[in-house]
Amino acid sequence: MLPHAPSREPSDQPRTRVRVLHELRRLLPRIESNAANGRVLPFGIPALDSFLPHGGLPFGALHEITSGHENDLPASLGFTTALLGRVPPGGPIIFVFSRKRTGLGRLYGHGLNALGLDPGRVLLVETQDDAQALWAIEEALRSGAPAAVVGMTATAIDLKSSQRLNLAAGDSGRLLLLVQPEQLAGLNVAMTRWRIGALTAAKDRFGLIARWRWQLSLERCRNGRTGEWQVEFDHAAHRFSLVSPLAHSAPARAPDTPHARAG
Amino acid sequence: MIDDRHPLVLAVEASGGARIAALNMSAEDAGLSVGELVADARAKVDFLQVLPADPAEDDAALRRLALWATRYTPTVSLWNDGNGADGFFLDITGASHLFGGEQKLLVDLAQRLDRFGLPARLAIAETPGAAWALARFHSSRLCLLPPGHEVQALKALPVTALRLSPETRTTLKRLGLKRIGDVADKPRAPFAARFETELLTRLDQMFGHVTEPMEFVTPPPIYHSIRYLMEPVMTQEAVVFIATRLMKDLVHPLVRDGVGARSLRLSLYRVDGHVTAVELSLTKPSRDPAHVAKLIDLRLERIDETVEAGFGFEALGLAATLVEPMEPRQTDLDPDSGQVRAEKISALIDSFRQRLGPHSTQQLAPRESYLPERAEAALPASPEETAWPPANGERLRPIFLLPRAEPAEVTFLVPEGPPQRFRWRGTMYHVTYAEGPERIAGEWWHDGIDQPTRDYYLVEDQSGHRFWLYRKGILPRETDKSQWFVHGLFA
Repeated sequence: MLPHAPSREPSDQPRTRVRVLHELRRLLPRIESNAANGRVLPFGIPALDSFLPHGGLPFGALHEITSGHENDLPASLGFTTALLGRVPPGGPIIFVFSRKRTGLGRLYGHGLNALGLDPGRVLLVETQDDAQALWAIEEALRSGAPAAVVGMTATAIDLKSSQRLNLAAGDSGRLLLLVQPEQLAGLNVAMTRWRIGALTAAKDRFGLIARWRWQLSLERCRNGRTGEWQVEFDHAAHRFSLVSPLAHSAPARAPDTPHARAG
Repeated sequence: MIDDRHPLVLAVEASGGARIAALNMSAEDAGLSVGELVADARAKVDFLQVLPADPAEDDAALRRLALWATRYTPTVSLWNDGNGADGFFLDITGASHLFGGEQKLLVDLAQRLDRFGLPARLAIAETPGAAWALARFHSSRLCLLPPGHEVQALKALPVTALRLSPETRTTLKRLGLKRIGDVADKPRAPFAARFETELLTRLDQMFGHVTEPMEFVTPPPIYHSIRYLMEPVMTQEAVVFIATRLMKDLVHPLVRDGVGARSLRLSLYRVDGHVTAVELSLTKPSRDPAHVAKLIDLRLERIDETVEAGFGFEALGLAATLVEPMEPRQTDLDPDSGQVRAEKISALIDSFRQRLGPHSTQQLAPRESYLPERAEAALPASPEETAWPPANGERLRPIFLLPRAEPAEVTFLVPEGPPQRFRWRGTMYHVTYAEGPERIAGEWWHDGIDQPTRDYYLVEDQSGHRFWLYRKGILPRETDKSQWFVHGLFA
């Protein structure tokens, strides 16, 4: 890098009355209603959507996704992918990964496809460290190019950075999902916070996997309610549903059908 | 300690012993000459300093100087061995007006070279051949002839100024043809018959009847602009500011030709002669100075070693090295239109590439292959979406594919069956459900006959964690060992 010129102090610029009014005018609508243009992403499950403000995940905001255990990372990303498959067309879905985050390799396009997200829409961005990842996420949001941005950092994002990103999401009206490492305390600024856990999949009458299942905990929801669900995702129809109480019990199966199927 | 006031020679090993390869003024005054034996020279001169010649280092130094000379014009051509390998050509067509004329350019170049401690002989002429001849053989060190006088002056030069092979020179000498005029003024046919094409070609090149092919030290750009700074600049902000101006200079010719830049080279000329070049490539052709300035800023941010400004940069040059046709942008006010969106995506990809590295941003595309690791490829990102067929609901694929399948210790009921327990990365998993096998054979047309078949199983443990494992090789046909690998993880 070349040396930078010394920056000007903010106190150098006199704040005129006009400027203050302008700022207020800009901030007020956002304080009043969070969904600036009312765009939301529903799950398609009425029981779940009713917990969310305006019946879905609001665009133009930061949402946090985490898990209880490192092992549940594939589950949380799977849930995120299935959700993103429902984003209407109109721009790429950008995944920003900080390299140190996962030792699990790269997302597999055929796997994304199987979860209902068109891999052709996806841009994968890998950064050397968290600082670059935060820069890339903000850059992507402010460019106006993507429909949604998913960010994954190696360590938890600090408050200031999360506020910055939330502001960027709000200004641009894009959906921002941040996948955070397992931890107890979450991001204060997040509009919703989800904790995902793995669950055994639903099997059909032949004993084969019919629907993926995940444990969902909505731990925080501004202007909405918190809750817990067990959701399923049909891998053929690409549709979310709730695990029905009946299905909780062991699936009905002929007594002599073994679990495993030999080749 | 080397004393330049006393005779100094550089020596190379040659026939008969060490011979003089180069000498300084003092040695020349003392009567020494190039090619003489060093032993003889020592006998002639009392206090002779002798150093070994280093031709490789000389070449490198000349190349660096030639790169510096691109501050005058991007078309600089080093002299090869046939030209003496001790200088270079600058094509200043269209460049001299920036200096207020050819005379001023010549003087400027001579002054700067003097400041570097490099006394040089310079000549400006109509053709490279003429310039070479005048620089070497004309009586003045700086040679710029008034129009009309050039041909006369050239004819007065000796025939060695034609850059001929030794055989041709010897023959001309024997024939008594000493000056270029002796050859040029005579009819051509006898020369064509007597000599190889060399003589006539060199004559034609000198007088401009034929162009001489030249190899440039940097690929000549199609569009370029350069600014010479009164005060050297040192900060990143200043460099970006000037680069924006340079890009604005290029907009007009780019628009005129209906093209945009895909590749750009920013050259930073340091006060001491060192040149740094920064290369930029863009996803889509662009003419936007703000976009290019931003990319340069990001790129300078990324360069790991500090771009040493030293005492500052005295000139900056921007060249478009690759251009592509570009339609004039319709003023599309709809931010969601395809064209506007594609531009935004390109700009974003460019920013990512400059700041995060050229391989940081990728797209996925499907490939025809049964092997999972080959069934998709990661490509450099572009604004166009790759085409993927809708998911085949039957074949389940994991969300993560490990870059390399990792060995797992597996316990099974029967060797040909699915795993019951497996240890992977230090953790033991108990399988409560398994699906498979999906048999994927090796691609013999790709890897050869002996690729083992893989039997893939989707397994789940009691918590709902799901893995993709395979057994390598069919028992007992292909292998007698039971080798298992984890290849991916399901959501």
